Amino acid sequence: MATAAEDVLAFLTRALGSPVGPDDDYFADGRANSLFALELVAFVEHRFRLTVEAEDLDVGNFRTAANILAFVTAKTGDRSPGAVTDAANG
Amino acid sequence: MAAPLAIRAAAWHLPERGVDLADLPELATLDPAERELCLTLGIDRIRADEELDETALALDAARQALAEAGVAAADLGALVVVESRAPERLMVSEATRLQGLLGADAALTFSVGGLGCVSITPALLTARGLLAADPDLEHVLVVHGSKPSTPTRYRHPVTVNGDAGQALLLARAGDLRVLDCLQESDGAYWDLFHVPFRERPVADWREECRDPTAYSFRLALETRDRLRELLRRLLERNGLRREDVRGYVSQNLSTGGFAFLEEVLDVGLLPACRDNLRRYGHLGPVDVLLNLDTALRRGELPDGGPVVLINASPVAAWSLLLVATGGDHEHTYQL
Repeated sequence: MATAAEDVLAFLTRALGSPVGPDDDYFADGRANSLFALELVAFVEHRFRLTVEAEDLDVGNFRTAANILAFVTAKTGDRSPGAVTDAANG
Repeated sequence: MAAPLAIRAAAWHLPERGVDLADLPELATLDPAERELCLTLGIDRIRADEELDETALALDAARQALAEAGVAAADLGALVVVESRAPERLMVSEATRLQGLLGADAALTFSVGGLGCVSITPALLTARGLLAADPDLEHVLVVHGSKPSTPTRYRHPVTVNGDAGQALLLARAGDLRVLDCLQESDGAYWDLFHVPFRERPVADWREECRDPTAYSFRLALETRDRLRELLRRLLERNGLRREDVRGYVSQNLSTGGFAFLEEVLDVGLLPACRDNLRRYGHLGPVDVLLNLDTALRRGELPDGGPVVLINASPVAAWSLLLVATGGDHEHTYQL
C-alpha cells in the first residue's frame, strides 16, 4: 500500500510531467499553472477525504509535497499521515 | 425580468497584416521556459497592424455594423466606447474622437471599461440601461478597438494579444438576444498584471505579473468558485437546467485556459473558440462575441441557443452572458 507521501509525489510528478522531490517548490520554479492548481486541490480533497475551504487556499499549504502533507495532518486533526492513508484507502 | 436587449448588427475589423507566432520578434528576448510556453499556447498567428490604432480598428467595425443595419451614423442615439488599455494621450477623449470620425454627432457618447476582457459586460449593461430608461432611444452602438498596451504582445504566462475592432449595434429587439448578464469583481487583484510606464520609454513597456503564484493558484481557485456560482445563479434565475444550454463560449487565452474553464464548469467549449485562438490570439473584450459569431456561421449552434458566454479577467473580474438567437418565443429558455 502506497504511503501518503508516495501518493502525493506520484501525483505531482504525473501532473507536472517531471520528477518532484519532497521539498521542490513547483510554484516558484514555474512548473505550476492554473490548471495544475485545480487538479492539485481536487487531488488533495479526494485522496485525503477532506474539503479545502476558502481559508485553506494559502499557496503555502500547497507549494511543496512536504507542505501538502503538513497541511493534511493539520487539517485532519490528530490523525497522522499514516492514519490518513488508511482512511483514503478505506 | 431583465429589460430587453438584443444585438441587431455586429461587425469586426481584423487587420490583414499579421505575424506567425514563430516569427514574433520578442521571442528572441524571452528566456527558454517563457519561449516554450509562448509557443505552446495554442496560437499559430495573430493579426497585427502597427499602422492601425484602437480608434481606427473600432471605426471600421462601427461603419460596417451601421451599414449592415441600415442606420445612418447621424441618427445614432448613443455611442459607448469600451476604452483602450493605453490611450494615445492623457486627458483626451477617445470616445468623442470616435464620435467625430464616425459622424455620430447626435449620439450620447462616453466610455466604459476598467475590467480587461470583461469590459464588454459593463458596455452591454450600459446599453440595456440606456434603452430601458429612454423610450426615444432606438440604438446604442458599443465599439472597441483591441490592441496590447505595450509594444510586445506576449503576456507571460497567459496569452498573446492580437489586434481587432468590434462594433455591436444594440436595440430592444434583434436576431441575437442578450437574455442576462452577471458580473463580479475582486479588488485584491487590481494590479496583478500591470505596465509601469511613467519613467520608462515606450520601447521598455512590458506587461508584468506582480505575483505569478497568486495568479496560478489563488486567483485560479477563486475563479473556479466564482464561475461555478455565477453559472448556478445564471441558470437558476433564468429557469434553465444545464442540459438546456446549447453551447459555451469563452474568451481566448490559451488551450490550457480553455481546459481550465472546461474543468471548472464541467462543460465543453464550442470548437470556434480554439479555432479563433489559433488564428487571432487574444482580442480582449472582442473574443466572446467573435467566437459566438464564428460558431453561428459554422452551424455549431443549430438551435441558436441558449448560449453562455464566459469572461474572466485577471484584474480580477468575471462575467457570464446568456444569449440566444432567433425570435422563437415558444422555447422554454425565452424570457
